[in-house]
Amino acid sequence: MRNSTYLKMGLNMLLHSKLRSWLTIIGIVIGVGSVIGIVSLGDAMQASIQSELAEMDLTKITISPGYTKASSNMHGPPGMGGGGTSTDAELTDDDIDALQGLDSVQYIAGEISGSEEVKYTGETATLSITGVDPQVWKYMTTLETQSGRLLEPADKYVAVIGSGIASETYDHDIGVNQVITVNNKSVRVVGILTEEGMGDDSNIYMPIDGAVDLIEDAQEDVYDSITVKAKSEDLVDGLTEDIEKRLMVSRHIIQEDDRDFSLTASKSMAESVTEMMSSMTLFLGAIAAVSLLVGAVGIANTMFTSVLEKTKEIGTMKAIGAKNRDILMIFLFNSAMVGLVGGILGVILGSFVSSGLQAMMGSDMTGGGSGVRISLMFEGLALAVMIGVISGVVPAYRASKLKPVDALRYE
Amino acid sequence: MTLTEIIDSFKTKLDPSKIMNSLEKAASFNAESENDSEGNDSREDLKINPYNNSGNDSAKSSNAIRISQNGEDPLIKLTDVWKIYQMGEVEFAALKGITLEIYEGEFLVVLGPSGSGKSTLMNLLGCLDIPSKGKVCLNSKDISELDESELALIRGQMIGFIFQSFNLIPTLSTEENVLLPLEFQEEDRHISRQKAAYLLDIVGLTDKKKNLPSQLSGGQRQRVAIARSLAVNPPIILADEPTGNLDTKTGDYILGFLDGLHEREGKTIIIVTHDLDIVKYATRVVYIRDGEIEKIEKRTKNEPEGLK
Ligand SMILES: Nc1ncnc2c1ncn2[C@@H]1O[C@H](COP(=O)(O)OP(=O)(O)O)[C@@H](O)[C@H]1O
Ligand SMILES: [Mg+2]
Repeated sequence: MRNSTYLKMGLNMLLHSKLRSWLTIIGIVIGVGSVIGIVSLGDAMQASIQSELAEMDLTKITISPGYTKASSNMHGPPGMGGGGTSTDAELTDDDIDALQGLDSVQYIAGEISGSEEVKYTGETATLSITGVDPQVWKYMTTLETQSGRLLEPADKYVAVIGSGIASETYDHDIGVNQVITVNNKSVRVVGILTEEGMGDDSNIYMPIDGAVDLIEDAQEDVYDSITVKAKSEDLVDGLTEDIEKRLMVSRHIIQEDDRDFSLTASKSMAESVTEMMSSMTLFLGAIAAVSLLVGAVGIANTMFTSVLEKTKEIGTMKAIGAKNRDILMIFLFNSAMVGLVGGILGVILGSFVSSGLQAMMGSDMTGGGSGVRISLMFEGLALAVMIGVISGVVPAYRASKLKPVDALRYE
Repeated sequence: MTLTEIIDSFKTKLDPSKIMNSLEKAASFNAESENDSEGNDSREDLKINPYNNSGNDSAKSSNAIRISQNGEDPLIKLTDVWKIYQMGEVEFAALKGITLEIYEGEFLVVLGPSGSGKSTLMNLLGCLDIPSKGKVCLNSKDISELDESELALIRGQMIGFIFQSFNLIPTLSTEENVLLPLEFQEEDRHISRQKAAYLLDIVGLTDKKKNLPSQLSGGQRQRVAIARSLAVNPPIILADEPTGNLDTKTGDYILGFLDGLHEREGKTIIIVTHDLDIVKYATRVVYIRDGEIEKIEKRTKNEPEGLK
């Protein structure tokens, strides 16, 4: 028998199949749909994180006071995470001095931060202020201005503000050279940052000398965090160890457990985020795979029933000249077709689900990329057909091995 | 001798140009017997007989070794054939030492009450089963020595089956059912369609070719089954109670048709039945009871009036 005949017979069986077959197909639709949905969502999120990471400076190591093991290399913003076990731990100029002279260091800078009331045209808002070293900040930051400039070494009571503060926080937009009031002190805005979509949009950057006067509980030469920038990304791991050793010595810490500072390399943070993302995708993918497996079992089950139902037809076909191979192929084509139809509907469903989810999560999470890769669609289809064939093998083989007499006698 | 050679030896013996060309008469008989108002006109334009075109026929090369078939060697030969069914612990002998020779061109009727082992015998004759003991030889070839695909080849090319319950494929149309045996033999599609059209015309079902079996009457279904059994133009037609599910009139038509195939096409017809009436078509009757042959009776055929 020719392949085209197998195809025709398989299709004929599918088209005349009972509700049961269509219910089976739904199983595959859900399986393939969820695989497609999850994988393409994962793709989109991965892509957006990748682009986020591309903008990140991966040579930075942030030192913050306090130490908790769990947060040692995961949690982000300096001064906020960390959850100090030793409340009196502080980072000071001594620490910066201790780190001077390390080979792979490009810059070292201390930072302070706090939340203060900021007034502009009679309105008041509580905003976070970060005091940075104006000598090195513009070399260390990846931030850019949309207007004005970044901080310069001679600056003191000036500020670079996030785009959100400039255009959303107050009724009136803030422009370059306008003056805001922080704790009753006038601060001139010299630059406005480009929109980031992250925390930096609502942050105020000031030279640390000025900020120390304005932030209530800030002290001279005491930092909320120290940022060390390595000369290159390769040096980060070694530098992290060096910093740890030097600080342990300079802070007279003998045992690991007594540490009162934490190091966060932006590189390892990036790595763990990527890792987390891919393990999440893997986990969701595994769930989807399980639903595919259930679908496959469904096809196998339906095929067994269908072989049973068609026993007499199988006998008849054998009587009029069908070889075992012919019967095998007819049933295999039929179950492949069940897979194919399920796959096609599943790809459609998956595309809808993934674009729906991406729309719900917003473009921030998914980098605005929508839809499903064409190659993924074909992979989904191939997967569905493969599942159809695999789950049809045993029933089809059984059908082919039926003895013609027994099959003909079957009622 | 290879299997293909055996099959070919039959093919070459049958003169393709002679085959089927007188069946139109049987078909017109049908138009009278069943008031289905089938269009007689359409039948007129269909004069081309695709089975006449020997060059395109599916028959394989004719240079196969011919064997002597002078009516002396039997077509099918059963020697002390037993069929024993195992039902759990109990063994049941459905056939107990059947010895029988069937010759080409016979119209053999196997007559016996229900449960006497007729269908069991039929399955052995049709290569659907192999005996538990004894030998079934088809043209001197022991079928027990053939493998599954060889048996399938014999069934597909040499034997046309007609069943009591028609056994059409319910999801295929009338035409597709007739085409199916040709598909199994990978006949050229164009020729297949011509053959199916020709056969459907002969059995008077041209206008039902797109119908599913469920949309046909019992008689019509059996006519489709006959068309299907003739599709590959096999030398042997095996029918198991072909009229069992039909009323007398329709049954008579079917038998008349088979008689026509025997008379004019020289086909070997074997009918298994419990219906004494069918005996009148036979050239030989085998009486079977409890799995044993009671007697064998040679007859001169008593032609029914309808076909004269
Ligand atoms: N596959 C089988 N298993 C067990 N017994 C069978 C089987 N086929 C037929 N028989 C028995 O063999 C006997 C002959 O059956 P069968 O050849 O069908 O008779 P008939 O066609 O003459 O009515 C019956 O008694 C039947 O029950
Ligand atoms: Mg029977």
